[in-house]
Amino acid sequence: MATAIGVMTHAEEDTGLWSWLTTVDHKRIGAVYTVAGFIFFMIGGLEAVAVRTQLAVPNGTVLDADRYNQFFTMHALTMIFLAIMPMGAGFFNYFIPLQIGARDVAFPRLNALSLWIFLGGGLLLNSSFFLGGAPNGGWFGYAPLSSIEYAKTSGMTFYVVGLLTLGLSTLIASLNFAVTIINMRAPGMSMMRLPVFIWMVLVVAFLLILSLPVLTVGLLQLYFDRVWGTSFFSPATGGDPILWQHIFWIFGHPEVYVLILPSMGIVSEVLPVMSKKPLFGYSAIVFAGAAIGVLGFGVWAHHMFTTGLGPVPQVVFSASTMAIGIPTGIKIFNWLGTMYGGNIRFVTATYFSVAFIALFTIGGISGVMHASPPIDGHHQDSYFVVAHLHYVLFGGAIMGIFAGLFYWFPKMSGRMLDETLGKIGFWIMFVGMNLTFFPMHFLGLAGMPRRIYTYDADLGWDTWNMVATIGSYTIATSVLIFVINVIKTMRKDKDAGDDPWGGATLEWATSSPPPAHDFDVIPEVRDRDPLWYDRDHGIARAAVPEHNHIHMPPPSYFPLIVALGALLIAVGSMTHLSVLGLGAVIAIYGVWGWALEPTD
Amino acid sequence: MSHDAHAESHEEHPPTTIREYVMIGFVLFVVTVVELWVSYNEQILGSTMIPVLFVLSAFKFAVVVAMFMHLRFEHSLLWKLFSFGLILGTAMIIALTALFWHDRTDAVGGPEYHTGSTQAEASAPGGAAPAPAKH
Amino acid sequence: MAAAAHETQPATQHATTTGIDNRKVMMWIFLASECLFFGALISTYLIFKGDSLVGPYPKEILNIPVTSTSTFVLLMSSLTMVLAVYGAQHGRLGMMKVMLLATILLGLGFLGFQAYEFTEFVHEGLGLTTNQFGTSFFVLTGFHGTHVAVGVLYLLSLLVASNRRTGLGRDRALHIDIAGLYWHFVDVVWIVIFTIIYLIPN
Ligand code: HEM
Ligand SMILES: [Cu+2]
Repeated sequence: MATAIGVMTHAEEDTGLWSWLTTVDHKRIGAVYTVAGFIFFMIGGLEAVAVRTQLAVPNGTVLDADRYNQFFTMHALTMIFLAIMPMGAGFFNYFIPLQIGARDVAFPRLNALSLWIFLGGGLLLNSSFFLGGAPNGGWFGYAPLSSIEYAKTSGMTFYVVGLLTLGLSTLIASLNFAVTIINMRAPGMSMMRLPVFIWMVLVVAFLLILSLPVLTVGLLQLYFDRVWGTSFFSPATGGDPILWQHIFWIFGHPEVYVLILPSMGIVSEVLPVMSKKPLFGYSAIVFAGAAIGVLGFGVWAHHMFTTGLGPVPQVVFSASTMAIGIPTGIKIFNWLGTMYGGNIRFVTATYFSVAFIALFTIGGISGVMHASPPIDGHHQDSYFVVAHLHYVLFGGAIMGIFAGLFYWFPKMSGRMLDETLGKIGFWIMFVGMNLTFFPMHFLGLAGMPRRIYTYDADLGWDTWNMVATIGSYTIATSVLIFVINVIKTMRKDKDAGDDPWGGATLEWATSSPPPAHDFDVIPEVRDRDPLWYDRDHGIARAAVPEHNHIHMPPPSYFPLIVALGALLIAVGSMTHLSVLGLGAVIAIYGVWGWALEPTD
Repeated sequence: MSHDAHAESHEEHPPTTIREYVMIGFVLFVVTVVELWVSYNEQILGSTMIPVLFVLSAFKFAVVVAMFMHLRFEHSLLWKLFSFGLILGTAMIIALTALFWHDRTDAVGGPEYHTGSTQAEASAPGGAAPAPAKH
Repeated sequence: MAAAAHETQPATQHATTTGIDNRKVMMWIFLASECLFFGALISTYLIFKGDSLVGPYPKEILNIPVTSTSTFVLLMSSLTMVLAVYGAQHGRLGMMKVMLLATILLGLGFLGFQAYEFTEFVHEGLGLTTNQFGTSFFVLTGFHGTHVAVGVLYLLSLLVASNRRTGLGRDRALHIDIAGLYWHFVDVVWIVIFTIIYLIPN
């Protein structure tokens, strides 16, 4: 058998702090990612509630203009880079090896490294609130709002350095996931048998691997502009602010698919299981995901229609943007077809998945609306765009993540979340979400611009703004209910069993929570829905051999050291060269120790 | 260590010999010399010079990747992974330069685009960035 | 095979799905990512071409003979690198070490030329912030130089490690091979940069 010979490492059964700091277990890393992402989700949510409170009535006085700018910028940065992506990364970490039938990711220590760098970057970005002011130029950081003349506080420097740090973490994680999926699959797990979730992760990994370097270059250029006095983006001395927009959106559009594809993957896992029938149109959904990935690189200038691209580029980017709606639409039919005629179990995960389809479709449709340049001329920079992006991000990405939380919580903790509380929370969130974001369509069409900190009373925007603010408090309530649900659930005994949903994929073929080595015997895959196939064909799970010594990689503290070095380099680039130098020395020491550390 | 000697037994390596590697290095050197000659003799090649230079450097690029990085002898997966990034990167360079080239002709009122209103906006006082210095 | 049978296999080195080592797959994907990194820098350089409001302009300042020499140095380092890989793969450790050292020295030579070029430019009045040419030139070639420097450190650490009692271990050829991939890539990027900045008339 392929099972390795060696001794079982027991260190993973430790639960002390040190064991968590040195862990290389993908499940622990995934859990930390998920929890940290959720905490950031709540912080970002509080920022959003503050913003909505300010806008509830005309001439609001809750936040002044400067603080408002910091809050809406940090809200977006937190939600995108510190909440949705990390919660996605949490699921990736936890479930890639489990779903493809591996014992861990390809590079366990790199996995720990990306976690620590992410945590450091997140803290760095948020510390800006207490160190002279948070970023205040929007998550897209348009020049010249990001230049030293107009953004005098260190906020936008935090933006640059924070995003570079987070980008490093994401790049490392994406490389790791891509290699794992390509190279660590269980016997029989061909590409066209991969769970759709895994396919989506693969697309996301490649989107990030190929788009992050472009953002990195843009951020470095911005750094040089702000700190070293170059003029990449300031026109007075020959620079070009439009260049930043291109660079940012060449990254930025693939990034929005990075945010949505994991949730599409989750929904594609939940719906078949809850409908008790295989996914409808597997190859179509995989192909559509890949097509979205490729096309996603060719649409970026739809964020720039109003910059005067000229007629030919406008037509090209308008057409490509409309084209990307096609694979997106295909997926919607796949999900509907999966449920059609199914024996559907309406559990909370199903609710969130169905809500995902409905709300995402609304957001997709408004997206195709502003794919048309003349229409976009009206939408651009108005609340209509805010409505669009929240229907895809909240209605899409976040609803999908909640579906995943309800679906996989039993696997991760061994306990079922409370269904009643879950459904109550779902309805409150669903109503709150539509209360908050649907009126923004009207506000946008009535001419309300985004990113304004207040407005006058006689513009006809009062009612819908108040409704939206009430909606935001409704959403906050639903999140609170979820937190209560988790706390309540963690207090009870483990009640989930290995496979509470009758799942089709390999993660349900091991205990909940899984042992450190994931599978006692690496499963053999005979079908796209391996567990259902084995069930229907009466194939029993392989017996565990008597001397089952499984070798797992030992814990390591070098990832922590390298991450510390990277963080000091980041801090040093904002403060003093000596800090940077110290960081470099620590990082090099860490890498050296890492390379020589025995992994046997 | 004793197992050092066995190390290569399970490692496939490219069939290229030392002699061939040196030959390839020599070819790369010669192509570089040709490139320099081309670069110094613009008057001879005229407008074909830039394409010629691109072809020559693409040739060198391909040779190094195929032979020195032995991509030629590798699993086709590696080839696909790399070329995806390479093609995307090249496409991005082409697209961005084209977008900005258009931008320039538009701003200076070049003959390529005569779409009344854009023209008027672009040349409106204060509307356009300072015209780039040409030399 | 018999010799290795009783050795413990690390968890990450089980037979992989594609048969290619994980680390090699990762290096190739990373290089694909680097294509976009340099692609963005090169795009910026091209976009700013001719946008300098004041001199010195590229034509006045680029020293083609000097840079051609450094280009040649980097090209030859690729040759020595590939020979180091050859040595590692065929168990000729002496050749491997000598060629690694040669590659490191040639890489340092290239960096020396670059340092010389940069200081010359500054003397002639072209700094990072002088004009758009200066900005995009220094940033593009500077990041390339940083990659060479990282490569030198990378090879140096392999050279040092190969002189330990245990050498580079079972995966010796793979380690050198992967380092070589990185090194050659940095070289081919220079081929492109050299053409775009130095050879095409400004
Ligand atoms: C059918 C697919 C989609 C189309 C055709 C589409 C189209 C567009 C267009 C044209 C804009 C620019 C609007 C403007 O600023 O004037 C835009 C903005 C935006 N879209 Fe989409 N979109 C689609 C799906 C998505 C998805 C799936 C997400 C994220 C999960 C997303 C997130 C965003 C965000 C965040 C913005 C605002 C960016 C900003 O200016 O801050 N979109 N979309
Ligand atoms: Cu977009």
